[in-house]
Amino acid sequence: MFAGGAALGAVAMMAGERTLLPHSATAGDALVPPHRPRLAPLHPRVDQITDLKVCIRPFRAAGPRLDVERIGDKTIFHNYGHGGSGWSLSWGSANLVVGNVAATLHRKVAVIGCGIVGLTSALTAQRAGFDVTIYTRDLLPHTRSVRANGSWTPDSRIALTQTAGPAFADQWEQMARFSWATYRTYLGLPGAPIMFEDNYILSDKPFDDRPAPPPPAGAPGTMPRATEDFATYESRIRDIVPAVEDIPDAENPFAAPHARRHSLMIYNFGAYGHLLLSEFHQAGGRIVIREFHTPHDLASLPEKAIINCPGYAAREWWRDDSLIPVRGQTAWLPPRPEAPYGLDYRGAALLSKTDGVMIQAVDLDGLGEMTGVGNSFEHPDPAEAARAIGVFADLFARMPMVGG
Amino acid sequence: MTMRQAILFTLIALLPGIASARPAAEATHGADLYRAACAMCHGPTLEGNFQTPALTGRFVANWAGAPVAELESYVHRAMPLMAPGTLSPEDTRAIVAFLLQANGLAQGGTIRRVHPS
Ligand SMILES: Cc1cc2nc3c(=O)[nH]c(=O)nc-3n(C[C@H](O)[C@H](O)[C@H](O)COP(=O)(O)OP(=O)(O)OC[C@H]3O[C@@H](n4cnc5c(N)ncnc54)[C@H](O)[C@@H]3O)c2cc1C
Ligand code: HEC
Repeated sequence: MFAGGAALGAVAMMAGERTLLPHSATAGDALVPPHRPRLAPLHPRVDQITDLKVCIRPFRAAGPRLDVERIGDKTIFHNYGHGGSGWSLSWGSANLVVGNVAATLHRKVAVIGCGIVGLTSALTAQRAGFDVTIYTRDLLPHTRSVRANGSWTPDSRIALTQTAGPAFADQWEQMARFSWATYRTYLGLPGAPIMFEDNYILSDKPFDDRPAPPPPAGAPGTMPRATEDFATYESRIRDIVPAVEDIPDAENPFAAPHARRHSLMIYNFGAYGHLLLSEFHQAGGRIVIREFHTPHDLASLPEKAIINCPGYAAREWWRDDSLIPVRGQTAWLPPRPEAPYGLDYRGAALLSKTDGVMIQAVDLDGLGEMTGVGNSFEHPDPAEAARAIGVFADLFARMPMVGG
Repeated sequence: MTMRQAILFTLIALLPGIASARPAAEATHGADLYRAACAMCHGPTLEGNFQTPALTGRFVANWAGAPVAELESYVHRAMPLMAPGTLSPEDTRAIVAFLLQANGLAQGGTIRRVHPS
């Protein structure tokens, strides 16, 4: 048994890797578990920050706005307000909206906005045979979309259960399934625009799997009151999304007593964004840089069918007060391709992506889904970033290693 | 929320209601207000950054030809981003007067250059 453990250490050394040892393993009980994860450690530090990105999630209690409105001779197909799920639901949402556009018999379509929702709407419209022009203030790299975390989170602050009602739950499922299937077509490509990575959920206490407590009495209306007001629909698509599994103590490589693992789909913004923009141009799409101030500005566009994807900015541009800001911030450190995994621990999240190691303060103060609700202070908070980085710095500082 | 209160407090503490009717004084007052309520994001010289638009350059193109009232209405409704609707109408006018002046734009009416070429 000991020899087996030593041999494994030697292999790790030969490969020049520093490998994490299961936290409970000692020389005496070095039984090699069947799937012991071999993970290069990450030692994130504040002095390695390359970027702090702040963003506002465009939250609507009733779920995203997907209705149709007429202004003069224009038909406006809204597609905004996707909360913390805009990336995940983008293709499914675009599919619903473009379905409505297709019924109008127009051939030319204008898309307002080039965030992830606008860009996927434009591509979906092209694939449905439309001639598409995007009108936007900013291209994807400057939009709020690229300030996200960038992983499969299709029901993250997408709606309030009661306000959105059961019809939205069905619509959500349709969007989530369609998005998931479309994302799968972008797997296995050069540059890894979309990929899966192991995500570890760590805890100091045993996981609490009791059903969530009921929401507060009464109807929340447009403003969330508590975490329990937020809709969770993920169980509806359990059949296609990899399940979370418990990691037995002997196989847990982390200095946290409880660990779980799942395969998480992630979006590498650089490669994926570039690919989508190239696809749009290759299919003959045009982009016009333009800012709109009032809905009447649309009268000057040649297209009669318009897909409106301004994200949070709909609050001003379409005077939509139903949008509730939910602030979020990510810190970016240099890429660590030799450590391709993710972590969730003590209210912070880490994802190792091709364009950097992303660390996010998801819920450092135990506020749950209420974290950031009503906060539109889109300005970097270095102290928040330091706290989130500290969670992982502390975790790795406590971990034994072999092979280095 | 505490951030919002802190910013409002800063605004109030730094800028006791000095609303002026005269355009030049108004723009000067607007510059003070800008420093207190806007510069943290849009930059001390209106230069913006990767995630916040500059209030020079493309800003002029974005608003050229629009009524000044529309820009005032936008600033009042949308800015400062973390506390929209908290600027008084007078302070909003002063800040917009400052933005127009700083960009060499005419005061009042339609947004246009002072000396059209
Ligand atoms: C911290 C954080 C983490 C997140 N993590 C995830 C995640 O892991 N997974 C996930 O699915 N979602 C996540 N989200 C949510 C996701 O980022 C948003 O739902 C999504 O970006 C919304 O995209 P959008 O295209 O609607 O809006 P935006 O990205 O804001 O794009 C709006 C577009 O409209 C244009 N525009 C706006 N107003 C005008 C105007 N007046 N005239 C002309 N053009 C205009 C803008 O220039 C821009 O091109 C996260 C959000 C945050 C804040
Ligand atoms: C917390 C950061 C922040 C603060 C503070 C802030 N802004 Fe902004 N401002 C933004 C962002 C971000 C945008 C882009 C709007 C959007 O995407 O919704 C913007 C947009 C604008 C625009 C439109 C620019 C254009 O080209 O159309 C104007 C004008 C503006 N701000 C003025 C102000 C003024 C005046 C103040 C102070 C009263 C202010 N802002 C304070 C972040 C901020």
